[in-house]
Amino acid sequence: MSSSIENSHFLLRRLHSLLGLVPIGAFLVFHLWENSQSRFGAAHYNDEVVGALQGLNYLLVFELFLIALPLLFHAGYGLVILRHGRAEPRRYGYLRNRLYWLQRLSGVGLILFLLLHVGLTRIAGLFDPAISADLFGHMQRALMQPPVFGLYLVGLLLAVFHLANGLATAAIVWGLTTSAEAQRRFGWVCAGFGLLLAAMGVHGLLGFLIAPGAGGGA
Amino acid sequence: MQAQTPSDSPACETVELQIRRQHGPTSRPYWQTFACPVRPGANVVSLLMDLREHCVTQDGTRVDPVAFEHNCMEEVCGACAMLINGSPRPACSALIAELEAPIRLEPLPKFPVVRDLMVDRAALFAHLKQVKAWIKLDGPWDVHERAPRVSPKEWQANYLYSRCMSCGCCMAACPQFGPQFGPEATFVGPAPLAQVRLMNAHPTGRYDKAERLHAIMADGGLSDCGNAQNCVRVCPKAIPLTTAIGELGRETTLQAFKDLFGPH
Repeated sequence: MSSSIENSHFLLRRLHSLLGLVPIGAFLVFHLWENSQSRFGAAHYNDEVVGALQGLNYLLVFELFLIALPLLFHAGYGLVILRHGRAEPRRYGYLRNRLYWLQRLSGVGLILFLLLHVGLTRIAGLFDPAISADLFGHMQRALMQPPVFGLYLVGLLLAVFHLANGLATAAIVWGLTTSAEAQRRFGWVCAGFGLLLAAMGVHGLLGFLIAPGAGGGA
Repeated sequence: MQAQTPSDSPACETVELQIRRQHGPTSRPYWQTFACPVRPGANVVSLLMDLREHCVTQDGTRVDPVAFEHNCMEEVCGACAMLINGSPRPACSALIAELEAPIRLEPLPKFPVVRDLMVDRAALFAHLKQVKAWIKLDGPWDVHERAPRVSPKEWQANYLYSRCMSCGCCMAACPQFGPQFGPEATFVGPAPLAQVRLMNAHPTGRYDKAERLHAIMADGGLSDCGNAQNCVRVCPKAIPLTTAIGELGRETTLQAFKDLFGPH
């Protein structure tokens, strides 16, 4: 009777879409907001931003169930979806088709970036308490190196693009936007949202370099 | 004899035609070039018909006539769809005067080639069956009532989808559709989805709405759409395929809620 429930296909695809927005997309916004406070310096960042989060009760549970597992599912299932399509961005140079191609490209790029990013901060922090004690100094030293800064900039832009474009297509998938005009209008809203988020992220990255205090000095 | 001005005398002109040919479904494709005289108002089908009478390549070799399909010559049957200069479109409405020379003709991609420019579009019809794109007129109930009335506004929206001629252009351009992704789990494609939108809006067809929605919520259904939206760009009948996909997205969201929480 209810083949949509008995057949997991539909539910898995919708779960993949939903998790991309909440909690992963929501976490990205929160993460970039937190890091945009880097320019207030080491003391503020280590105590008020990172310290407050580290002191959260049940932090590990949140990290596991709100970030790690949804992200693993989204990335893993995304790779499965990737196998069932072949973009031809050159033959069909339409904007949406290029975005379709970029969405898949950015997804794969993000998996590589996140392995590095999470490994060098959260995982490394597990083994070296000095990293989690002074995350500001750790990040500042890393971002001072132009290749690392470049890598973070690319990773940031990939993540923001993937979320903003994902939001636009999720609106079609879930049936929020149906008419071509609505889809185009919401596309611009998502583009604006992406630009805002990218600006906040870049501001956060630069903040590590211009902030007063530890290592740098201003 | 009166001399014609160059602008309206394409009769003496020839156009270079490059055709990707293939003897059979499993043989290797190869290219052949022809220099075809162009008559005024010629389209790709009429050019291929002329070529059939005198099938000689540019270097003077007589070759087998090029196999191709055509029927209505007025862009309503969909039989002559092929790749023209890299774009999927019906050949009968592709006017030579409006095409960039040399004209490259290839069989419609994603469908198995029968011979030359002829492809087997059985997959399209199999997918129409898969999504139950028909309306049950007879049932265990009495059908004594006259057809229910449809508002002009609704009729106008539905009419757009009724223009589909199953040419397969939208499927050819779809990055998610293709035999290369496995014969079973392949995406049904935009055209069958648009027919679900049409049949579900039909006064009698709506009785089987949930059944059709369930069909497109299974493997290869609506959720396999990647929103690349090439379909709506290449559709020769300007069918709002992506609007249908958005509307079906909403319908399937509601259907999933009904399946999960009732009422069925």
